[in-house]
Amino acid sequence: MVAAELIVTDLAFGLMLGCVFSVVAHGLNMIWGVVKVVNIAHGEFIMLGAYGAYFLNLFAGLTPLETAPVDAAIGLLVGYAFYYAFLHRELRNKETITLQSEMVTLAATFGLSLFVSNLAIILFTGNPVGVNYNPGTLQFGYVRVPLAALYVAILSVLIIMGTWLFLERTFIGSAIRAYAQDVTATELVGANPAKVASLATALGFAVTMAGGALLTVWIPVGINPLMGALYAPISFVIVVLGGPGKMWGSLVGGLTLGVVIDLLQAFTTAQIAYAAAFLILIPVLVFRPEGLLK
Amino acid sequence: MQCKDGTISVIVGPNGAGKTTTLKTVNGLLKPWSGGIYFGGSDVTDLPAFRRVEGGLASCPEGRRLFPQLSTEANLLLGAYSRRARHAAETTLDFVYGLFPRLKERAKLNVGKLSGGEQQMVSIGRALMTRPKMIILDEPSLGLAPKLTAEIFEKLVELRKEGLSMLIVEQNAVQALGVADYAYVLQEGKVINEGPPVELMDSEELRKAYFSIE
Repeated sequence: MVAAELIVTDLAFGLMLGCVFSVVAHGLNMIWGVVKVVNIAHGEFIMLGAYGAYFLNLFAGLTPLETAPVDAAIGLLVGYAFYYAFLHRELRNKETITLQSEMVTLAATFGLSLFVSNLAIILFTGNPVGVNYNPGTLQFGYVRVPLAALYVAILSVLIIMGTWLFLERTFIGSAIRAYAQDVTATELVGANPAKVASLATALGFAVTMAGGALLTVWIPVGINPLMGALYAPISFVIVVLGGPGKMWGSLVGGLTLGVVIDLLQAFTTAQIAYAAAFLILIPVLVFRPEGLLK
Repeated sequence: MQCKDGTISVIVGPNGAGKTTTLKTVNGLLKPWSGGIYFGGSDVTDLPAFRRVEGGLASCPEGRRLFPQLSTEANLLLGAYSRRARHAAETTLDFVYGLFPRLKERAKLNVGKLSGGEQQMVSIGRALMTRPKMIILDEPSLGLAPKLTAEIFEKLVELRKEGLSMLIVEQNAVQALGVADYAYVLQEGKVINEGPPVELMDSEELRKAYFSIE
């Protein structure tokens, strides 16, 4: 009986962790799926989003949930700047991204990753910090759920649903989906490709930084300049699991990873759990390279 | 080269003559090395392709270039992307469905599941959704059975009656010349002959362009 309780509890925690993982990976997914650029500096913008939650809590008393929209607004601006600084010259007037441009953007975002994390060490010091946010717990039968984690999980799902609705139901959203399929044809229906691609990039950054804020609920003393080195690979795994460009893929990949990690943690150590979680990438790449979702 | 309002102009010529390149220069996907492009009396040489679409110059590109993961209707509605077209989107959509009733039946279906002929209709429909003054068509008969090709060309003639101008590139010269008001014969990047199709039909150049081995 005790074992069953343990498994149910871990499953619940795994699902909630999976939700926040999903949103953290979702920004990478959007940029990868639409603009076809893999942002190596993705983890650093999660880190900046997390510090956003830390500083807004420190100076303004905001909870991570309240920081998320602020981070998202900053992320939009950062995303536009990122597009015009790193991607615009590589993407404009091209039908599809060339191998050379892929290499250039990989190298450039790798450089950006090093620059941002080192700048963060100088500005924030290497000492980890955290946000204290505890709105209580909720009892479900014998499972005790911290409300903070539950709120974050709900907000995470809402964010993913929101981006999906935006892409499905708005004119500019359908242009983003069109751009993901055929850049030239998108221009031939009268859409400015740079405008579409920069908006997709900006949205990706907004989601990424908001995800960083929400993540802080799970890492009470874990905000540090190098945290991107863990959450970037987690995001890559999630996007590959779900399939780049599939909006619900982030959720499928995130939940899968969250549950696997949490269940493994119950029986082994956290280090082994994270290492083993990355191993599921191998069968997925071999048997379902297009991702778990159809 | 010149295309008059409300007429169909056709460019014919063998493979590699530069037909598609010509069209891509007209719609703005390629920049000319020299010379200029004028549309409705204004110089559009330096305008990007999407601005030319806003100005009323639409394209049905080679290979149709639809968005395969979107529905027929979503593909059509994307044609109404520019502000000018968006206001009239519903009216234009009704017009397109009136012209191609089969597309209305297929509205919710992914466009990738449509037949080649239906896809060509979507491509023309999407171009119409931009509310163009002129449409550029690259090989509208590509991959279509002769009967369907004839049907498509009939629709193009119908659109000309509505006052639309068209510039068409075709391998299928006989079919294209049958509907054209004016034609250009292109070979190795140069116009080697031009005129009303009846005059060109039995010209030496056209026959050479198509049938000579040298």
